[in-house]
Amino acid sequence: MIYFAQYVCSGILLGLLYSMVALGLTVVYRSGRIINLAQGELVIVGGFLIWWFIVMTPLPQWWMGIIIAFALMGLLGLVIERAFFRPLIGQPIFSLVMMTIGLLLLLRGVVIATFGAKERPFPQIFSAEPVVLGPFSFDSALFWGGIIALLIVLALAWFFERTKYGLRFSAVAEDHQVAQSMGISVKQSVAVAWVLATILGGFASIVFFNGKIVTFLASEIGFRALPVALLAGLESVRGVLVAGIIVGIGEMLAMGYLNPITNGGMANIFPYIVMIVVVLFKPQGLYGWRVIERV
Amino acid sequence: MLVVELMLKLDNVEVKYLDAVLALKGVSLEVADGAVFAVLGGNGAGKTTLLKSISGILHTDEGEVTSGGIYFDDYRLDKLPPEDIVKLGIVQVMEGRRVLEHLGTEQNLLAGAHLRSDRAGVKRDLEKVYNYFPKLKALKRQSAGYLSGGEQQMLVVGRALIARPKIMLLDEPSLGLAPLIAREIFDVFKRLNEEESITILLVEQNVNAALSIARYGYVLETGRVVLKGTSSELLINEDVKEFYLGLSLSGKRRSYHDVKHYKRRKRWLG
Ligand SMILES: Nc1ncnc2c1ncn2[C@@H]1O[C@H](COP(=O)(O)OP(=O)(O)OP(=O)(O)O)[C@@H](O)[C@H]1O
Ligand SMILES: [Mg+2]
Repeated sequence: MIYFAQYVCSGILLGLLYSMVALGLTVVYRSGRIINLAQGELVIVGGFLIWWFIVMTPLPQWWMGIIIAFALMGLLGLVIERAFFRPLIGQPIFSLVMMTIGLLLLLRGVVIATFGAKERPFPQIFSAEPVVLGPFSFDSALFWGGIIALLIVLALAWFFERTKYGLRFSAVAEDHQVAQSMGISVKQSVAVAWVLATILGGFASIVFFNGKIVTFLASEIGFRALPVALLAGLESVRGVLVAGIIVGIGEMLAMGYLNPITNGGMANIFPYIVMIVVVLFKPQGLYGWRVIERV
Repeated sequence: MLVVELMLKLDNVEVKYLDAVLALKGVSLEVADGAVFAVLGGNGAGKTTLLKSISGILHTDEGEVTSGGIYFDDYRLDKLPPEDIVKLGIVQVMEGRRVLEHLGTEQNLLAGAHLRSDRAGVKRDLEKVYNYFPKLKALKRQSAGYLSGGEQQMLVVGRALIARPKIMLLDEPSLGLAPLIAREIFDVFKRLNEEESITILLVEQNVNAALSIARYGYVLETGRVVLKGTSSELLINEDVKEFYLGLSLSGKRRSYHDVKHYKRRKRWLG
């Protein structure tokens, strides 16, 4: 029983990390119906930048490295929007998705060319000591990361729903033409969405790489977050919390109870099973927007 | 007569869609400060195109002002992006009750105030909207997508009102509404014009309703202004009666064939 509870609690934390990555997918989707398959690469870029500025440059304080890395991530978001997606305004969704694949490969190439094959130990930003709560113990990065993810999601949801500035983004998510007729700059909103996505990638990279080695393998988290965003419903900000927690718990339970009898494969593919089930049976996800048809 | 301070002026405006479809063929039109102006015309006449060219959202349909100019005070509107045009105080309420479906009624209204920074003023104007459209107040937490057609029309007008426009561009607000509701909404337009001094450019196919509140009207046909005059002039004009009110001299509706033929023969003059 204690194992079960530990799996569930760890699953929640893992799920919150997925939520943070999925939120990057959601904000970009809301801005222009783009499913960004390169979100995992944004996590990688964040990881490399933070590693570079903290470990490889003689900055006096580690947090300065984080600030510079985040600023560069934000800039990257602006460049991505301006160079790759603005020219595609009005193009079919298919072109947009293909462009995100191009972006994925390009980012990977640029990172390899820039940083080369070095040993890349990511700094220990969260303590290596686990956080112990009663009978449970948690990886401290996942623990604090989960709390940060929770706060970010709730803050963004509040922003989009309750503030005048945030309502602009909700209007853009509903209808570009209506948004423009209301005097909202769609271009600006899309650019901000990309900046949010890259910054979220930066946050996720800290939680994910904390005290580990920075590698490209981590980019899979972008794909693992996709089922979370889909299960939430691609328009739903708050929904990524619930969906992330469901997927996270499912994955940890699969790891605990199914991996031993499936040679360790089940936990790995669990999110993708969720994805297939959602697409087949509930394409709008839990909280996604349905086309409203009044009688 | 209309010798009030001039506000909005279209000078020989030509609009093309996709570099191919000529939708406005040299439209000149003037909107003076503080009155209601009607633009009448049948389907495909170019009414929506006219409003979109003023509000700048034409480009979202791959449309473009290819010659002529649109002027508002000292600005040249056809060179400005839509967000700047809204900032100047020109707000379009699009055809088809385009509410933000998944947001609540009040959120729709607040979204309309996104350019304003005076919190207290926004709050006051929110109450003002509820005062003009009391039905909306009871529905303020309801998802806008589930409102009735009439309520949605009230909502989009309210959303424009809360932006504090100088000019409202209204595109077929009565379309698909029961006559009673349409009447109610038109009464509000009249009040907005009188009480809030909002100038209104009203596109309608419902000629009677439009001319009942407008001071002046333009009739548009296949991209051209073919007739203009004060509302009372237009209401007694035989051609308007015939084509838009469906009354011929003998009091009978003419068949479509006759109308078409007549249209081709007749040269309209302003
Ligand atoms: N996006 C577009 N692309 C190409 N042609 C267009 C486009 N929008 C409108 N048109 C054409 O421009 C002309 C004017 O259309 P517009 O929508 O302005 O007419 P309207 O007077 O508003 O008609 P309705 O009363 O039916 O709304 C029509 O011939 C139409 O086919
Ligand atoms: Mg129209």
